[in-house]
Amino acid sequence: MSLKEKIYLDYNATTPADPKVVQAMLPYFTENFGNASSDHSFGWYADDAVETARGQVAKLVNCRPVEITFTSGATEAANLVLFGFCKKNRGKGNHIVSCKTEHKAVLDTLEALESDGFEVTYLDIDGQGNIDLNEFEDAIRPSTLLVCLMLANNETGLIHPIKKLTEIAHSKNVPVMSDITQAVGKIPVDLQHLGIELAVFSSHKLYGPKGVGALYLNKRNHISIDKHLFGGNHEKGVRPGTLNVPGIVGFGEACKIAQQSLEENHKKFKVLQNHLEQGLSTMEGATINCRNQNRLSNTTNVSFKGVDGTKLLRHLNKLALSRGSACTANQVNPSHVLKAMGITDEVALASLRISTGRHTTLEDIDKTVTEIEKAVDQLKTSIV
Amino acid sequence: MRELDVIIERYQELKSQSVRCILATVVHVEGSSYRRAGARMLVDEYGNITGAISGGCLEGDALRKALFALDRQENKLVTYDTSDEDDAVIGAQLGCNGIIQVLFEPIAYEEVYNPCELLKVVAEQEVPTAISVVFDLDKTRQQLGTSMVVDENQTVFGKKLHDDLHKALLVKSREVIHESASCFVELSTEGKTHFVFIQIHQPSVKLVLVGAGNDAQILAQQAELLGWKVTVTDGRPTHANKERFVGSCQVIVTKPEETLMNINIDNRTCFVLMSHNYNYDLSVLKLLLGNSESPYIGILGPLNKYDRMLNELADEGIEVSKEDLAKIHAPVGLEIGAETPAEIGLSILAEIQSVLTNKGARPLKQKTEPIHDTKENQFQKISI
Repeated sequence: MSLKEKIYLDYNATTPADPKVVQAMLPYFTENFGNASSDHSFGWYADDAVETARGQVAKLVNCRPVEITFTSGATEAANLVLFGFCKKNRGKGNHIVSCKTEHKAVLDTLEALESDGFEVTYLDIDGQGNIDLNEFEDAIRPSTLLVCLMLANNETGLIHPIKKLTEIAHSKNVPVMSDITQAVGKIPVDLQHLGIELAVFSSHKLYGPKGVGALYLNKRNHISIDKHLFGGNHEKGVRPGTLNVPGIVGFGEACKIAQQSLEENHKKFKVLQNHLEQGLSTMEGATINCRNQNRLSNTTNVSFKGVDGTKLLRHLNKLALSRGSACTANQVNPSHVLKAMGITDEVALASLRISTGRHTTLEDIDKTVTEIEKAVDQLKTSIV
Repeated sequence: MRELDVIIERYQELKSQSVRCILATVVHVEGSSYRRAGARMLVDEYGNITGAISGGCLEGDALRKALFALDRQENKLVTYDTSDEDDAVIGAQLGCNGIIQVLFEPIAYEEVYNPCELLKVVAEQEVPTAISVVFDLDKTRQQLGTSMVVDENQTVFGKKLHDDLHKALLVKSREVIHESASCFVELSTEGKTHFVFIQIHQPSVKLVLVGAGNDAQILAQQAELLGWKVTVTDGRPTHANKERFVGSCQVIVTKPEETLMNINIDNRTCFVLMSHNYNYDLSVLKLLLGNSESPYIGILGPLNKYDRMLNELADEGIEVSKEDLAKIHAPVGLEIGAETPAEIGLSILAEIQSVLTNKGARPLKQKTEPIHDTKENQFQKISI
């Protein structure tokens, strides 16, 4: 079976690049191949393209272009920002408040900071994935130098009330860093409105190329970070290294397209999500996680009771979807997000993340429901 | 010589040598910056710069952007965000915290009304003019650039524009001239938005020095630095001659009662009576009373000299009107402890500047608001 015959439902893992994005990128591989740092025509053309892209990216998340630094992706941005900020502000304290359901890009970086002497409080969540605001407030200590909480969860699609959380953090003079990767391009993200100090996101989640991301430093609040990579003054020294001009151009174009299609896509995803979840909820033992919460409209996380989860994904070989977070998919470990929600290992393993995208149709959803139903039935029977 | 005249002179030179050039214009500033909207510089294809758009921090990058615009043969709007303290590219560590929009326009010599030719029209007019620069802050459409000059007599110079735009600019230009204040306009027409900077340009200040002593020599030089047009009148050919008054200064040898015969007085013509000859000064003062458009008459000498003049005028039955009393500044100058001729010159010129701009001539440190009124930077929204 070729890839074309498969139904792709893993848009939270990555998205196909929009053909317009690819078109925009192509000249920067060949005729406009200049190094954006060169002081001649070739460099000027490349630099101009980078600055145009910076403007497009900034516009989508409503910040100023100078506040955006291009990186190789959200993971690199998270590393740069967490290390850079925490080390710079070590004098103010050594405590960080985060949450158990963060992405590995953040969790692993925090772990590295812990071994460097920082202390991290990982907040618990309730059965619906929510952070308790009082618990959050109590977790902030005089030595807390940063709050690090994601905007939308990659597995459940749950959207955290970042503005509210930021207001609480700010009332205690603690800045906020947010991984906004899954939210950008799916819901309106207004950084000025949110008021956070630091953010990271990536291009390939919004129909741009892989290998490009962005780091946001709130200049209004005079945020700057220590440098952790060395080798030139590219991106003001925050992320040295010759700029990935084609990638950055693609990222910019992707942001431009996302901006234009945000509302229309949201409506479409909502219809697909309702349709999908109606189909899934009729299945015996199925639970849609975080169902009645404020969620991304493209993400559905479903758990099945009494099903052998280790075999579930392999039975769905016509579908490309995810069991737990993509970045840990090589290991068959239950999702740390679902576990944190109090879901048992067994049920967590028998869970699927279905994330739709611009190319998903109602017909795809119908087929998906049929396929899942078939697999769940088979696996149930085989258990019995 | 005014900066504008220096730029035009350089333009003429470059034109005669067929050296290509680009005009850079600050078209909008939000926040603070050293140079305001209307600052201009001319860059030739070899990177030589005439004029300035900042206190030096932007020129380096602006040079590259200018050459890039020249290479592309396309107008280009560049945004400089000087609030970014980490930005080594701009090196803007002035703490200015402003967003500066600079428009780069490659100059086509064959165009009758290219931007520099329009500036020439402005510089040559003896009446107030309004010059319009059209741009697109979103940078998604063509930057129309320096487009139109309208003078007080409603004569219009410029390139061909869309009818609606032409009419709207004409109306706003008249307003600008009438109110003697530049403005920013956001013009919406058929779904398109044009941003326009309409700059008022006053003809040069004309300074008439009655008396050609050594102090007048210094004052004339100082005024020329400000770009003012200086005329010196005196009855003594030994004093009033081109050997003593070099530069563009006009020298007239005349009897006091014929002083005004060769002077065209407008509302920017200021007089300083400094002949060190009581009767000479008084004769000229008589000529100026009641029938002069001049906004400023300064009289050098102590207060009792002025009192004596007023008494003598009263004895002759000449009543000095309130309007005349308001424009007479005697003793001339601001109190800044001036002793030497150059210091006195400074005190006189500062006073004239404050009278012409209708400002109080007090230390800026006493001002609680920003130096420039932020309201002046706002775009007036107009739909046509």
